[in-house]
Amino acid sequence: MNTILGIAQLLRCPPGTSLQDEGRALGSNYGIPRSGAMDLHSYHWANHLLKNPSQAVALEMAQPGLKIKFEAPCRIALAGAAAAITVNQVSISNPSLIALDAGDLLEIGPFHTGARLYLCIEGGFQVEKYLGSGSDFVSITGTATRATGECLHYLPTQSKSALQAKPKWATDWFEPEAIHAYPGPDWALLSADQQRILLDQPVHLSKLSNRMGIQLEELVANELDDLPTNPVFPGTVQLTPGGKIIILMRDAGVTGGYPRILQLSEDAQSRLAQKKVGDSIRFQLLSSH
Amino acid sequence: MKPSYKRISPILGELVWNAEPTDELLSIQFAYLTYVQTNFSSTILEVRQGFTRLSLLWKNLASQQEFVQLVDTLHLSPEPLPQKVWQVPVCYHPEYGQDLEDFVKSKNLSVAEVIQLHTQGLYRIHFFGFLPGFFYLNGLSPKLHLPRKSVPSLAVPAGSVAIGGKQTGIYPMQSPGGWHSIGRSPLPFFDPKQTAPVWAKPGEQIQFVSITASQFENWKDADTKNFLQ
Repeated sequence: MNTILGIAQLLRCPPGTSLQDEGRALGSNYGIPRSGAMDLHSYHWANHLLKNPSQAVALEMAQPGLKIKFEAPCRIALAGAAAAITVNQVSISNPSLIALDAGDLLEIGPFHTGARLYLCIEGGFQVEKYLGSGSDFVSITGTATRATGECLHYLPTQSKSALQAKPKWATDWFEPEAIHAYPGPDWALLSADQQRILLDQPVHLSKLSNRMGIQLEELVANELDDLPTNPVFPGTVQLTPGGKIIILMRDAGVTGGYPRILQLSEDAQSRLAQKKVGDSIRFQLLSSH
Repeated sequence: MKPSYKRISPILGELVWNAEPTDELLSIQFAYLTYVQTNFSSTILEVRQGFTRLSLLWKNLASQQEFVQLVDTLHLSPEPLPQKVWQVPVCYHPEYGQDLEDFVKSKNLSVAEVIQLHTQGLYRIHFFGFLPGFFYLNGLSPKLHLPRKSVPSLAVPAGSVAIGGKQTGIYPMQSPGGWHSIGRSPLPFFDPKQTAPVWAKPGEQIQFVSITASQFENWKDADTKNFLQ
């Protein structure tokens, strides 16, 4: 069946906006990062509202200011950071699930809470997939982010029908400071003092934060040598020889040589993705047994 | 060479060898890799390989527990390593290796000696990491070991052949990097449009072959084909 694709024009696309799904698990054999949504919790929730298939491609925003015009009817779901959202310049009070008509203009204003917002569309945005994923990553898809003037494609909804569900927008799950983590493979190499510093005090997200990793402001004095290069995953916390704490995120390389001191739980990774530069977090240790 | 298994999270754990990376260890890692992929294909999500670890990402806690109960009883024979040796042409010239001159000074060697030492060995591919298509190679002559640069370069060109610490590697794409570039290869090392985006596999070997600046400049696709068969 040939379907005529709907077109969504990015009339304004803020920096750090990219297409993401669950990422490419098959890529690590070739050294390809996982990629995928930084906050998988919100990504999954919005796709669930639309009854989308797994790996439906969504738009991830890390800054406000998106202006997007849909040229064919569609249903969209939004989740993650709470933001001021308008359709044709009319404010939408509950923007979780929205039915749009041809020509409708969606605008994303300031984020009130949270750091990343997901725009999912019924059926997912239609892009070429590499290794089972449509996630943007520069050496795979040729681009790390989307830009103003680009068009995205989607499967238009046949007719506009009223949406029954009125899902509630939730942000309370990511607001607490606690970030749950398991002891990493090299946790035992740390001294009791180093372990206490990491667990007892709040630490803060620095400006050196992106889809590859989030570096914390605080340093932990450290004389550990580099180790043989071994696997790392999204959520692995590394301690560098200079004492920097780096939490690896979705676009991080698949191996590393710094001590791997903690491993964030899956939920903690989503929660961390909603923290802004300067926000405080507190590591809480979980048992792997 | 029997590993221990360390659980990290309910769905993540790793096989641990506290040994130097060698061919012998790699053969054992391959045996475990094959075992897990054959016997747990429906419950293992991902296996990642490092020099002394094999990380296993499981579908759920139960699937990891099933493996934990069985791992100590395993007696696996080392898997033979592939025989394939890939020749990789490199132009060792200051124009293509931006750190070559500093490198020879630091090591108190001549360029000819560096070329001789770097091309005489066979390097075993252990796994890919750092960048898509970046080989982790074992086998660099200790005479060429040099700590990484204190200030990394912002843009190391694609194809750069470099030395960092005890390791040598090739940058498949332009990237920031802290290793000393001593030359450049005209071969492509990563192409996501291919079914296998990298032409070599872990366990195979690499041999560097010196080419002149003029050969590098006149390199053709046909030359690449000759090398990559």
